[in-house]
Amino acid sequence: MSEENTSLWQKIYSPMVLSLAVRNLKLNKFRTVLSMIGIVIGVFAICGMGMISAGFTEEMNSMISDTADTLTITPIGEKVIDGTITTGFSTKDLRDIESAVKSVTKEYDFIPMYSSSKYIYIGKETTMATISGMDSSDITKLATLIQGTLPRGATNVIVGETFADDNKLRIGSRMIMLDSSGQEVTCRVVGIMEDTGLMTFGFSTTNAVVGSIEWYTALVGDNHGLYDTVIVKAYDPTELNAIDAAIEKKMNGKKDKDSDDTVFILNSYEIMAVFDDIMSMSSIFTTIISGISLLVAAVAIVNVMLMSVKERTREVGILRSIGTYRSQILLMFLYEAGLIGLIGAIIGTLLALIAAPLMLMAMIGSMDAMFSVSVLSYVPIGILIGLIVCLISGLYPAWKAANLNPVEAMATD
Amino acid sequence: MVELHDVSKIYPMPAGDVHALNHIDFSIQKGEFVAIMGPSGSGKSTLMNMIGCLDVPTSGDIKINGKSTLEMTDDEMTLHRRETIGFIFQKYNLISLLTAYENVEYPLILKHGHKDTTTRTADLLRMVGLTDGQMQHTPYELSGGQQQRVSIARALANDPTFLLCDEPTGNLDSKMSIQIMEILTELHSQGRTVVMVTHDPKTAEYAERIVIIRDGEIVDE
Repeated sequence: MSEENTSLWQKIYSPMVLSLAVRNLKLNKFRTVLSMIGIVIGVFAICGMGMISAGFTEEMNSMISDTADTLTITPIGEKVIDGTITTGFSTKDLRDIESAVKSVTKEYDFIPMYSSSKYIYIGKETTMATISGMDSSDITKLATLIQGTLPRGATNVIVGETFADDNKLRIGSRMIMLDSSGQEVTCRVVGIMEDTGLMTFGFSTTNAVVGSIEWYTALVGDNHGLYDTVIVKAYDPTELNAIDAAIEKKMNGKKDKDSDDTVFILNSYEIMAVFDDIMSMSSIFTTIISGISLLVAAVAIVNVMLMSVKERTREVGILRSIGTYRSQILLMFLYEAGLIGLIGAIIGTLLALIAAPLMLMAMIGSMDAMFSVSVLSYVPIGILIGLIVCLISGLYPAWKAANLNPVEAMATD
Repeated sequence: MVELHDVSKIYPMPAGDVHALNHIDFSIQKGEFVAIMGPSGSGKSTLMNMIGCLDVPTSGDIKINGKSTLEMTDDEMTLHRRETIGFIFQKYNLISLLTAYENVEYPLILKHGHKDTTTRTADLLRMVGLTDGQMQHTPYELSGGQQQRVSIARALANDPTFLLCDEPTGNLDSKMSIQIMEILTELHSQGRTVVMVTHDPKTAEYAERIVIIRDGEIVDE
């Protein structure tokens, strides 16, 4: 190390200067602890609120992000077929929608389905479920079978895991539904689907009974061959907005200003983005609110440090007279502020690490999200914030001390 | 060698400017023992602060070994104080948070960047008459004479060529004053330049040269 570097290093760091800072903090234990409590509360508030907010967002995202690659398209235009007013997608509509999808990407799943709600009789119990009819090959694109086989024919169905548990159904169980003419139709459970939860876009297995198109049309009727819903899953979710726009243009493109839309498109990617925006705004808002407590703590630190400078004016004069650089005096007081900040921030962060999972458990019944990067990143963030706030708060008192005139300072009692 | 050319120091006060030093021309040669005498408020401490680079003149120039203090930065003056000057104050000016040992060790740490790994700190304290047990006492646990001895040891830590003493026996009884002055005389005999501010004629007798100052002006030498 060169002499010049040594000199610079000695200006920045001196073990005795650090030792003096530590001793002064110890000497004024009560004052040190009081000012530290402010930082503990401030960092606890910011860190805790941040962790809870991030954990909540993380949990919500994990619940819905699996289906965030989905467009759910439902018909809203009325059709008159054989003198009957009805609604649904014809084969031509499906072709039009798919051609719009193809204009954007070649990598997608296109799943037209029949769907409605129906009473189901299981033993002496009656319950309501969402029943869907679709090609067997399409079922695996929307759900994962955890037991049994895919439904084929006019009597076999598969049910969601939660629905099966709630109604004590297993493979081979039978359920009764009424067809459009009021006749009882018996269905046999041949498979159980993994639960997707209710927070899903497009298709939820939670309360679902799914069968083949043959089963559905035999039970409900074929509605003149009109499908109730089309689900489009893009392999690349970032293409979803473009696909949405293409379908919108193709299906709802105005022929004249009075013509109505024919489809309604639920874009999960867009909803996710809005959800993320809302959560980000909420997080910023809570951080600002929590930041007020840190601001109060910062003012207290400035006050404590100014008192410290006033009490130690003579000591500063002596230190300067025997060859302590201004920069070292500045550092001595910054060490003090930094130590208060560092210790306070570590305690505040540790408290937040205890409180945040308890709050998450109370709010969403799970603390799994605590172990995510976005939540744990608040640990270094909290410590850094506490440290930086204290260093900034200590800057003016430290500068004031460093610029004291040694002679005048030594003359102070 | 220290040279003062036409040095004045004016302290602005609400009631009017205070002229602490008025156009002082004065020099100190290497190896001298100079006593600066004068009544209270005559400007002798101000003069010593100027010589010790603790303060700067309002006008005039001070040259240390030919270099003007006007050209020196604050860091350069700080370095000069640390490397070449040892201060001994009337009120001892020890750091109350540190033990006697640490007070003497502090300038060594400032110079070398690490704790004293030699026996220099302890040797200096023994030289001025402190026992090993007293070295671990804080200033409040020591008598005035012991504190002044620690102060002398601290002043010698970085082996300065200049010793600046501001009323070094001002707070001590006559017996202790004699002991302290004998230490200073011994340090002078080792080749150090000693400048001592005092208002006590007996103390001034130890010096080779006495400068009398009154109302900010040198009136006799």
